[in-house]
Amino acid sequence: MNAVDLHAVTKSYGRTRALDGVDLAFDRGVTGLLGPNGAGKTTLLRIVATSIAADSGTVRLLGLDPHGSNESPTSPGDVTSIRRELGYLPQELGYPSDMTAFGFVEYVAVLKEWNDRNRRIREVRRVLELVGLTDLATRKIAKLSGGQKRRVGLAQSLLGDPRILVLDEPTTGLDPVQRADLRRTLSVAGGHSAVLLSTHQTEDVAALCERVVVLVDGRARFDGVVTELVATAEGQVWLADDPGPDSVVSWRTGSGRHHVVGGPPPPGAIPAEPTLEDAYLLLLGADARRARAAPTQLS
Amino acid sequence: MSMQTWHADRDLLAAYVDGGLGPVEGASVEQHLNRCSQCRRAMGPLVDAPALDRVWAGVLEAVESPPLPLPARLARRLGVAEPTTILLAATASLRTAWVVSAFVALSFAAAAAALSGGAALAPFLLVAPLVPVLGVASAYGPREDPLESLVVTAPYGRTRLILVRSLGVLVSVLPFAVCLGLVLHGPVWLAVAWLGPALALVPILMALSCFVGPRAGATAVAIAWSGVVLLSLRGVPATWPVEATQQAAYAALAVISLGVLLVRTRQDRRIGAVL
Repeated sequence: MNAVDLHAVTKSYGRTRALDGVDLAFDRGVTGLLGPNGAGKTTLLRIVATSIAADSGTVRLLGLDPHGSNESPTSPGDVTSIRRELGYLPQELGYPSDMTAFGFVEYVAVLKEWNDRNRRIREVRRVLELVGLTDLATRKIAKLSGGQKRRVGLAQSLLGDPRILVLDEPTTGLDPVQRADLRRTLSVAGGHSAVLLSTHQTEDVAALCERVVVLVDGRARFDGVVTELVATAEGQVWLADDPGPDSVVSWRTGSGRHHVVGGPPPPGAIPAEPTLEDAYLLLLGADARRARAAPTQLS
Repeated sequence: MSMQTWHADRDLLAAYVDGGLGPVEGASVEQHLNRCSQCRRAMGPLVDAPALDRVWAGVLEAVESPPLPLPARLARRLGVAEPTTILLAATASLRTAWVVSAFVALSFAAAAAALSGGAALAPFLLVAPLVPVLGVASAYGPREDPLESLVVTAPYGRTRLILVRSLGVLVSVLPFAVCLGLVLHGPVWLAVAWLGPALALVPILMALSCFVGPRAGATAVAIAWSGVVLLSLRGVPATWPVEATQQAAYAALAVISLGVLLVRTRQDRRIGAVL
């Protein structure tokens, strides 16, 4: 049994179809969710986090159905037992500004039923240490930097070592050292939890995830092992003296040569080792071209 | 500073660490330790490490745990479970600032009514039942609670959280308001009569919030209640809004609202449906 099993899941907001028949199943390990803005990443994460319900399709979390249907209404116990095993970092988490980092995580710990005071305090300290905030525990959240606030959010999601960990853009606002720390924390968490994280950073996925799902326009355009996705770009990436007339994307690198992705190789081009980013841009293909033609439309 | 030439021997340090020295001797060793790094180093291995860890853990606990605000501390004294007081402490409408402003508003309304010799009951009748309503409204999300996205996915349950906060709000303002009501001129039953609408308006607000959200719900309740009080200024006795017939009407509305709430609460654990 997979920890998370979604089949043909759809979700619409008014006329906008955010998810259009997504299948996704994963278990222990870190699964990365890539995709342009508006592709439905946050919607998918919220469904896995039991924050919203899917319009149709089946959702199984830890083997239980959080939604229920008219034929088989969910018992409140099912949703609650899923939620007991769930950690969630929303994309935009509001923090009460007069709370301290410790106070905030402790508050969430109470909502997660850590009722014994001593055990709760130990657990809050443990997760704050995991994200490297031990020294800032007593500081007011209003006085923390963006990256530190993000880590407070991450700390609460790690409470109780949840079996399903859902992280919506956890790396936003982190500097390279903090990112490296986060990667270490998450690779440990991936050893016993099913971690699903969305990001805009292909490097995060390359460094962290065994598995990657690329979501475009509410559909999974790729779902597989990271190295497989990288392999799809084999033979389509070059270093050349000019940008290439028909490439998907190309840019002038610091060395003065052009990194050309897709299209026929420009004259004198030499093949380059593809990265996950190259493969991702190739996969987006037409979408990436469109973004290049009208960069202002890319929010 | 003169050079240190004398050093405490091991037995003396051990006795000091064990607390076995007399007050004078102990204070002298302590004085010396403050200035002599060599003796401090010598003392290190003599200290019981687990005991030190326990002390340090205790210090951390005292420093890191945020202090509970006064209402939450009182709640703890009254036997409210410890985890619940943490939730109460995070409730905006139990913050000292809100409680104080509620008390001030109530006091002014009561003073106006008292100074006019009971002729101007309207301010008190207007304000007193609305104070708990506004407090409960501010105990809601999503705008009021920046944690909303997390609260809905926590096993505790959002309905339970709102109910805990609402009870906290009611318990923190009602006793004071009742005392104020006692100083009003007029019939003695007036001091508690306004509790009828006050307690009825809260479930009405919560039922409305199911459909239009707490802000619109509180606005609607406030306008409706103001309307009732203002209408009573025209040719009916000042106590009209809290007389028996009207009380029955409030109670009926409250019962209907509780029914609505009960139905909605059953659906609360269904994803996407919240109180």
